[in-house]
Amino acid sequence: MLDTTALESFPSLISHGINVAGEISAPPSFQLPNSNDFDGFVKETIQMVKPAKGTTTLAFIFKEGVMVAADSRASMGGYISSQSVKKIIEINPYMLGTMAGGAADCQFWHRNLGIKCRLHELANKRRISVTGASKLLANILYSYRGMGSSVGTMIAGWDETGPGLYYVDSEGGRLKGNRFSVGSGSPYAYGVLDSGYKYDMSVEEASELARRAIYHATFRDGASGGVASVYYVGPTGRKKLSGDDVGELHYHYNPVTPSTVEQEMVEAAGP
Amino acid sequence: MSIFEYNGSALVAMVGKNCFAIASDRRLGVQLQTIATDFQRISKIHDKLFIGLSGLATDSQTLYQRLVFRHKLYQLREECDMKPETFASLVSSMQYEKRFGPYFCQPVIAGLGDDDKPFICTMDAIGAKELAKDFVVAGTASESLYGACESMFKPDMEAEELFETISQALLSSVDRDCLSGWGGHVYVVTPTEVKERILKGRMD
Repeated sequence: MLDTTALESFPSLISHGINVAGEISAPPSFQLPNSNDFDGFVKETIQMVKPAKGTTTLAFIFKEGVMVAADSRASMGGYISSQSVKKIIEINPYMLGTMAGGAADCQFWHRNLGIKCRLHELANKRRISVTGASKLLANILYSYRGMGSSVGTMIAGWDETGPGLYYVDSEGGRLKGNRFSVGSGSPYAYGVLDSGYKYDMSVEEASELARRAIYHATFRDGASGGVASVYYVGPTGRKKLSGDDVGELHYHYNPVTPSTVEQEMVEAAGP
Repeated sequence: MSIFEYNGSALVAMVGKNCFAIASDRRLGVQLQTIATDFQRISKIHDKLFIGLSGLATDSQTLYQRLVFRHKLYQLREECDMKPETFASLVSSMQYEKRFGPYFCQPVIAGLGDDDKPFICTMDAIGAKELAKDFVVAGTASESLYGACESMFKPDMEAEELFETISQALLSSVDRDCLSGWGGHVYVVTPTEVKERILKGRMD
């Protein structure tokens, strides 16, 4: 059964919500496409969106809070459609979400989650926990499971219990954890992240680790690149720490020293 | 992704005033994963003839080895180097021999022919020659390369200006392609010298 609570706050343009008797009728919901082969259609949409998980995002919890980092490339098969996509979405001043998968899906559902978190604050006079926020998103995505949306996101934030990090995806999975990386570049990012991770890092060390992990992923993975953005979420809220162009980062980590090349002087073939 | 996009490649050749330049990217990948950043895609046949092979890397290596073999035999029999036009015909016929099980390669041939007149051509995987007077491109970034070359190319450029132009065209095109890049390799050939340069590019 589709969970349409997500759509209650959206008034429809055609006011069929109010019928003749002046009462509000059932809330509007997404229209399903008319097709003979609905399952086949859904399969095709899933395949269309699948390559879009070309990205690298990561997040980890450490002593001082949560560090979140991502690249900024959008690719369509082999073509790079953009090098400046914002993949870290600000849900509210103390929570961040990462984008992997369909850009439209991630943007829409994150904004929707932000709305629901604010409504929760107003209704309960206290901020929503990261656990609660991630559960809201996971339940909505579960109800749209199998319909072809592609979302691989991490919800990172700071609440009363301290730092929180959850992985939520469009298959309906929701995992609590300390370290996650999502996207086609995630194996490379995990390699650097796992070997350099210590719980007792300072904010500077953690941001350098996050930046390095994204850089290594952009080097090896063709579908990741652009700018390595690093955000930090701590007790006072979220803060963007750095946004370095990965092309320049490479030469920062591997400086080019001019070397003497053996010049070979060969007689050109005469007439 | 098709078989031509399995390894990823970018190749371009341009004609200048009594000189030519041929440039390639340096990435060798397996679909999205980058394996090497120093892969040689352009090879010398003789001092005034270069061939770059884009497409599936294993086929480009094999085709190159077979071409070197044929050229060495030619040198022994004819006691001189092959002209670029002749070599292009050789490559084209070798590819058409495999018409129903082709080499998945698109060659770019560049050389100095009689009177040191620059010659460039490219072919599809089954040997259809395309001669051009200005520039030829091949590889996964070919569409971007066409656009870049079309806007940057001027006829009768000297060697240094030709180098700048071909480098800018190559780097800006591979920056729009996930499967090629990670540096550049440029050869500028005049009747008296061959200049080989490595380009510092975006490594993402």
